[in-house]
Amino acid sequence: MSLDYVKFSGGFEKFMPKEYRDMVEHGPFGKKISVSQMGSFKEILEEHPMCAGCAMTLFIRLAIIAFPNPEDTITVGTAGCGRLAISQAAIPFVYGNYGDQNGVASGLSRGLRLRFGDKPKDVVVIAGDGGTADIGFQQVLHSWFRKERFTTIMLDNEVYGNTGGQESGMTNRGAVLKMAPLGKKFEKMDMLQMAKVAGCAYVATVVPNNPRRVESVIKKAVLIAREVGSTYIQAYTSCNIEYAIPTDKVMEDAKTVENDRYQFTEYVSEEAKQYLTERYGYKDYLPKPAAPAAAIPNKA
Amino acid sequence: MYLVADINVEICAAKSCKLCTQYCPEANTIQYSEDMGKEKGFKYGSAYVAVDRCKGCAQCVWVCDNMAKNNAIKMIMIDQLPLAAVTDNIRYEEKSTVVALSNPMIVIGN
Repeated sequence: MSLDYVKFSGGFEKFMPKEYRDMVEHGPFGKKISVSQMGSFKEILEEHPMCAGCAMTLFIRLAIIAFPNPEDTITVGTAGCGRLAISQAAIPFVYGNYGDQNGVASGLSRGLRLRFGDKPKDVVVIAGDGGTADIGFQQVLHSWFRKERFTTIMLDNEVYGNTGGQESGMTNRGAVLKMAPLGKKFEKMDMLQMAKVAGCAYVATVVPNNPRRVESVIKKAVLIAREVGSTYIQAYTSCNIEYAIPTDKVMEDAKTVENDRYQFTEYVSEEAKQYLTERYGYKDYLPKPAAPAAAIPNKA
Repeated sequence: MYLVADINVEICAAKSCKLCTQYCPEANTIQYSEDMGKEKGFKYGSAYVAVDRCKGCAQCVWVCDNMAKNNAIKMIMIDQLPLAAVTDNIRYEEKSTVVALSNPMIVIGN
């Protein structure tokens, strides 16, 4: 939980694997890194067992690069595809029982605040749509109502991809899947509206076909969660296996879905806007300068 | 044998959009080197693929063809590559990486 754990123990440098040496010497810890530098530094994420061409992996890769202070970040996950990659990263990962990730993260974030006081330690929950909207739904919603200060990221692949293709609460109405052959009979859950009702300070939807946007959304969500309140990001990360998308068409599908039903939306509470502006110098939320007073009488 | 992505250095070093490095789902698989294009007299560096990490999904091919419109990436059988980059031969520098290319078949034999 600090830069102290990303260094060699004395005398062991030459015995460490190459990946470890690269991570210590050229990793992003303690530096400012952005997606435009990808391919030129050692990433926190390592090789992982997720399917070839998985959009969820791309999102996780971008998300981990976007963490404002990776050396002070703990990720919490639960059963699902996402944990296969998140657990292969060089930052601590806590694996909850299925559905209790937001409960675990609540305790963790409170404990870190007691132990470290004002020093920011970020807790980020990254779980699938099943873990967030179905099985962990109760704990997710309660953590939002309690205004727990951590980020919840939903990797929404609209299916239980890990167990053979059952429908989840986030599956679209009418979708036919291997384990839902008659098609889903109910609407997709509106988690965004629920997050707003429950009082999240920041709610956003994002699709990984825009890496810069993913980066900015994750940065804002993690920063707001440090002091203001719960933040929620819903990311469309298609399952190319269960929805039979050819791997080279995954980004095309992401683009189609973004235009169709997953447009970028962002809700920032007034308190969060003020916090971002005053604390981190964001200029997007400054009040718009009023039109010059002289211009109006001239037009009249 | 299996397919891996192969980047045409001449086209890549002329454009250097770096989009493929941002869209690959695998970490540290499409890397960027400042030297790779410059040693051939091009203005920019080039992206290249660490073949031991490539899972052959061809997402970079779609990104290069349709988003960047450069058509610089092709999928090639790994034994047809003349030379390849592997993770063990990649060195990180301040702003890019340096790669020693090797024969991919020898690497697989190891």
